[in-house]
Amino acid sequence: MFQLYKARLKCLVRSKENIFWSYLFPILLATCFYFTFGNLWTFEDYESISIAYVSEGGQDDALKMAMEEAHTDNGTPLFVVNYTSEKEASKLLEDNEIEAYILGDSDPKLYIKNNGLNETIIKSFLDSYRRTSITVQTILNNNPKALEEGLLDDLMEAETFVYEVDNGKRPDVMLIYFYSLLAYTCLFASGWGLDEVINIQANQSHRGARVSVSPVHKMKLFLSNMLAAITAQAGGITLLFIYLYNILKIDFGDSLFPVIVTCMVGSFTGLALGAMVGALGKGKVESKEAIVTAIVLGSSFLTGMMIVNIKYIICKFAPFLNYINPAALITDALYSLYYYDSLHLFYINIGILSGLTVVFGFIAFLGIRRKTYASI
Amino acid sequence: MIVKVKGLVKRYDKLVALDYLDLEVAEGEIFGLLGPNGSGKTTAINCILSLLKYDKGSIEIFGKPMSADAYDIKKDIGVIMQNVAVFEALTVYENVHYFCSLYIKDKAKVKELTEEAIRFVSLEEYRNFYPKKLSGGLLRRLNIACGIAHKPKLIILDEPTVAVDPQSRNKILEGIKRLNQEGATIIYTSHYMEEVEQICTNIAIIDKGRVIAKGTKDELKSMISIGEKITIETYQGNENMVNELKAFPNVFSVELRDNRLEIKSNRGKNNLVHILDYLNKNQISFGRIVTELPTLNDVFLEITGKELRD
Repeated sequence: MFQLYKARLKCLVRSKENIFWSYLFPILLATCFYFTFGNLWTFEDYESISIAYVSEGGQDDALKMAMEEAHTDNGTPLFVVNYTSEKEASKLLEDNEIEAYILGDSDPKLYIKNNGLNETIIKSFLDSYRRTSITVQTILNNNPKALEEGLLDDLMEAETFVYEVDNGKRPDVMLIYFYSLLAYTCLFASGWGLDEVINIQANQSHRGARVSVSPVHKMKLFLSNMLAAITAQAGGITLLFIYLYNILKIDFGDSLFPVIVTCMVGSFTGLALGAMVGALGKGKVESKEAIVTAIVLGSSFLTGMMIVNIKYIICKFAPFLNYINPAALITDALYSLYYYDSLHLFYINIGILSGLTVVFGFIAFLGIRRKTYASI
Repeated sequence: MIVKVKGLVKRYDKLVALDYLDLEVAEGEIFGLLGPNGSGKTTAINCILSLLKYDKGSIEIFGKPMSADAYDIKKDIGVIMQNVAVFEALTVYENVHYFCSLYIKDKAKVKELTEEAIRFVSLEEYRNFYPKKLSGGLLRRLNIACGIAHKPKLIILDEPTVAVDPQSRNKILEGIKRLNQEGATIIYTSHYMEEVEQICTNIAIIDKGRVIAKGTKDELKSMISIGEKITIETYQGNENMVNELKAFPNVFSVELRDNRLEIKSNRGKNNLVHILDYLNKNQISFGRIVTELPTLNDVFLEITGKELRD
């Protein structure tokens, strides 16, 4: 059996196509994610936003004061404010020297050039300021002594616009990409699983016919082939994990063991999925490869690997999909390890994922156990 | 009997692929299964190997009923399928080694047999080549090495020379003869009658899933009326000459086409001498003369009314 395992492993790791898609492609994609979206939301790297404040036409001291006092949760000033004329501010904006300028008035107006995160922060700040001003005005109209009585103290405190969530773990949009990528790589094992089944099915390949006339039990062949596939997959996933964890320094939470378990179970799910597609029906090998690729890419897409908002949309409108989508179960298991101290959610996700693996594996077994065919 | 197939019926919906097929292959013979494409040869082989389910009939190999789980029977069978079935990612040596190790457990023995099989098909200098680097003929030889490395008692070759150059084809046919001389019983399917005539000791002609004739090549040829076919190149042929030649003893068919006179006659002595006498007497000049004994194609043509390669 070791001879058969060794030969199959050689076949798998010598295939340039397999090596590229399972070993190199995830690393390339991780590198692209890192440099494209890297540190998008990292708190430490927050830089104060350059804005201009135009006080012509009635200076609003309260707004000026609010802008100067606004800061992030760790004390970084939210804005670097230039006090200038409207003409100069307009020129600065045009030359991209500032992100926006505010025309101070009884009703302050915001001028921006582009749409982006910084512009969103400035607008949020101004909206908040307007709401607070109106509230203060209304209270003072009703109770002129409110200021003296300290009733406005809470309202006057500067609001934090960039803040850190509790338990020291920040919501990091980057994790969606990297966890989805890890899930994709786990499920990409389906390619290996499909190959291994095709290679022992007489009605699927000439090699399958050749090994089917040999005196080796089909299940023994299947096991040795799958062991080779598991080994090859373990190589790919380990390489990616080391790259993410040690090189890109992606945060997987406090304990690595459950993360490794998630990768293992996810890889088994991928192998079983591929084996199931391979064992079902007599369709062309190319069609089966296309089906497997579509399932893997589709399920990864639904976890936000391509568009990060998809994850949110699925959660809001079709949450049940996350319970049958293997990629979602893998990423959710990883999120639960990252965000929560309790392993409760992790166990639920891994439990469902294991259940899916058993179902896929059982269906594959039913297809593989056939030894004679109606047509080949 | 090494292989005994009785009343084998295989249907694909309404299409009858094998129609009560009977075959018997004795130990030590090279048994040819000859028939046109689609006649049921490969279906018969796949049923014999228990790869295909069949509707009726029985199959015995080495005197035991054949089934998908009959591993004791399978270990003594070598199969070379019509399509090359090797691993692209393994070298010539590794491919032969892998398929041999499916049959033999002893590592040292596997190595020894692998070397022997590579030598047998003359692929020594290609042992470290990957299959995609091999020509069609070399690939076929590798395919054969993978099927025979474990020294099986029964070797089944299903059209092993399709799309092979003449040189490789001859090597393959010589190899099959050698395997037979070394003690293996061979079942060889082909639609190339020349190959079957060249190597097979016993032949079954199959059409539409039925054996329509069987025997040695001489026995098969003796079943038909044609004893000799004479083709004469002449530019002076005419209708009168054709009619006069038809009246000759043993001659039963004369045709004049494209300045070629084709005369078919029953078995008999001096057929050619009589015809040449006639041409000389009538001062009819002629060019090339070709005389042919009947081929298996003539046998097939006479029995079915169509060419073997239709």
